[in-house]
Amino acid sequence: MPSVDIHCVDVSKRFGATEVVAPLSITLEAGQTTALVGPSGCGKSTLLRMIAGLEDPDTGEIRLGDEAPQAVARRGGLAMAFQDPSLLPWRSVRANIALGAELARKPGGDVDALIDLVGLGGFADHRPAELSGGMRQRAAIARSLISAPDVLLLDEPFGAVDAMTRRRLNAELPPLWRSRGATVVLITHSVEEAVLLSDRVLVLSSRPARVVADIPVDLSGTRDARLLETPDAMAVSRQVFAALEAA
Amino acid sequence: MMPTVRAIGWCLFLLALWEALARISPDTVLVSSPSAIAAYVAENMGLLARATAETSVNAMWGFVWGNLGAVLLGVTMILVPRSQRTLSALALLVFCVPLIASGPILRVLFGTGTGPQVMLGALAVYYTTLLTFLIGLRSVSQNWTDLMRIYGRGALSTLIRVRARASLPYLFVGLQISAPAAFLGAMIGEFTGAERGLGVLTLRAMRGLDTDATWTLAVVAACVAMAAYSVIGWVGERAVGYKPVILLSAPASSVPTASWMRLAELGFIAVLVLALWQSSMDAFDLNRFFAKRPGDVWAFLMEPQNRDTLFSALAETLSFAAPGYIAGLAVGAGLAALLVLSPSLSGAAMPVAVALRAVPIITTAPLLVLAFGRGLVGTMVVVAVMIFFPTFVACQQGLRQTPGQIVDVFKSYGAGRWHLLRAAQVPAMLPAFFASARMAVPAALLAVTTVEWLATGKGIGLLMAMTASTSDYNMLWSCVAVLALVATAAYGMVAMMERAVLRIYASEQVV
Ligand SMILES: Nc1ncnc2c1ncn2[C@@H]1O[C@H](COP(=O)(O)OP(=O)(O)OP(=O)(O)O)[C@@H](O)[C@H]1O
Ligand SMILES: [Mg+2]
Repeated sequence: MPSVDIHCVDVSKRFGATEVVAPLSITLEAGQTTALVGPSGCGKSTLLRMIAGLEDPDTGEIRLGDEAPQAVARRGGLAMAFQDPSLLPWRSVRANIALGAELARKPGGDVDALIDLVGLGGFADHRPAELSGGMRQRAAIARSLISAPDVLLLDEPFGAVDAMTRRRLNAELPPLWRSRGATVVLITHSVEEAVLLSDRVLVLSSRPARVVADIPVDLSGTRDARLLETPDAMAVSRQVFAALEAA
Repeated sequence: MMPTVRAIGWCLFLLALWEALARISPDTVLVSSPSAIAAYVAENMGLLARATAETSVNAMWGFVWGNLGAVLLGVTMILVPRSQRTLSALALLVFCVPLIASGPILRVLFGTGTGPQVMLGALAVYYTTLLTFLIGLRSVSQNWTDLMRIYGRGALSTLIRVRARASLPYLFVGLQISAPAAFLGAMIGEFTGAERGLGVLTLRAMRGLDTDATWTLAVVAACVAMAAYSVIGWVGERAVGYKPVILLSAPASSVPTASWMRLAELGFIAVLVLALWQSSMDAFDLNRFFAKRPGDVWAFLMEPQNRDTLFSALAETLSFAAPGYIAGLAVGAGLAALLVLSPSLSGAAMPVAVALRAVPIITTAPLLVLAFGRGLVGTMVVVAVMIFFPTFVACQQGLRQTPGQIVDVFKSYGAGRWHLLRAAQVPAMLPAFFASARMAVPAALLAVTTVEWLATGKGIGLLMAMTASTSDYNMLWSCVAVLALVATAAYGMVAMMERAVLRIYASEQVV
């Protein structure tokens, strides 16, 4: 099983005069899920795009394992669910999801099982225009999972998903990517979600982004909604909130 | 079904009205009636059928080659971004040569046969298709290209999986507009010395002042072009599956470059054009007697006498073209604005405008000259009519681009229609207006030179017609070169005005 860790060394980024990411160095361990939280506009998406190789950092370097992000991308080891679902409007839901495997040059596996898992059973042959915002987002998540990537980048994947579906996906999707040994970076605005899904929460400051807190999430037991009510989980949540307030 | 029935009803009503007008009109030299046209068709069935088939086949080949060329050019420009500026400048320059000017030259190069008709058909279509296709290829959100990059896929993959499909609706609009344009090109090819086809018959009917024949030919050409237009539209709707809102012309790009860079680029393109001209003549080893090189034209134009002849003809032509150009733009934009003030009229006018877009306007030129005379007014009307419809359609689309929330804000303050029009809708229309104003420059020159060649016997059109028949090939090539320069310069001037105005009113359009 390939395991790819993510190294950011002195990475910084500015757009014109605005400094968006201050020089920061972090290492995300292989097979772990890391949540990035921080105020809106602080540079989370920018950091994720640099990890994906979509933006080049102004200074420093990003390595996935011992490769550059673009090299991992070329061998189909990378996948990302964007903040905006960006499905191709002329493809059906099934074809949009299959596109992930197609582009990564991987065998698609069972597309229909994945469609059922994200709760889109019965909509496989619909076009994106016929779906709600939350449904489109779930199709985009399925597209990022279908290629079984080594590095999975999720930018607010559940933002528009309704509360009940979100709760179900929060319980059912992480085991899938954990069992494959994927290294996952998850951006979320929900502290509960960050605690529930990740092994580690990084709290970023307002722009320019720097790491203000690095909080490990060591929780035993199955990761579902009930876990959040345990004292351990609540303690972690409080810690994250406190760091966010200071950020 | 209801709209079809209503449309047929309207057609019948208009036909009856036309018949009635033609009957009470005392001047039978000008207006032909539907019954007279029907009679002419019945009498000359075989001749008309053969001519229509001939022209249609030529137009079809022109359509195929021209659009194929446009697609290849567009794909190259996307895959090799560095080639973009040079290729688009070359494409524009070729487009700026009025067809009626390249016609005689192609005629001498190809000799008799259908070569010039097909080539002119191709030249008439490639530029509009290229523009619409390019807009389509670029109508791709950054998320989609990011998605391709996430999987390590490059420009070619993006082209195949994303751009090609995204550009499809735009491509079909280009193809649709191409149908009448290819017809127009083929007919102009026939004007310049073919043996068969609708263009030849039109020329004969004009010279013989045969009103019924002239009208019949215009009607036949219009019907064939409209049929092709609707068939392509129908196929497009099936193939695309949805109806996206489409703006037909891109705003002039203004990549901020230093002025010396622009000058250097201009110089490079000029040298490239001259080199291409010279080398293509040499490569095919064309006879110097009729295949003139840049040097020949230069030497010819250095003689003051030749220059005087050419420039006085050009001055006459421009003095006719400019008022027609301005009138066409003004009426097109004005009517679009008027219809916004009165939406109920718009429902009636839009189908007519769309139908008329499918008519190869040049075929109506002889009729317009018959009606308005061989002087300034007749020429002006032909030019204005040629420009009016594309401008009108583009401006209407532009007006609809006014963001809904802005309209709502104005309405919530109880602003009147005039206020809304002036403050929100006209600025929203400006990009579309200027884009069509740019495209109208070559169209105006095409219209004026064609009508001079065919009907009015004035200006540079006449000069070219004469030199083509007296084998004064130096003068012919000089006319073509000068016309291309004038058209390109005028296009550049409109583009400069466009940038200046858009910078104030629609800064988001100027990248
Ligand atoms: N391409 C760009 N050009 C200029 N500025 C940019 C660009 N992309 C992002 N920015 C700026 O960088 C800052 C950080 O943007 P980013 O999208 O990374 O924020 P974010 O933390 O993901 O916010 P949100 O939680 O709202 O999604 C913002 O101020 C944004 O305006
Ligand atoms: Mg973001």
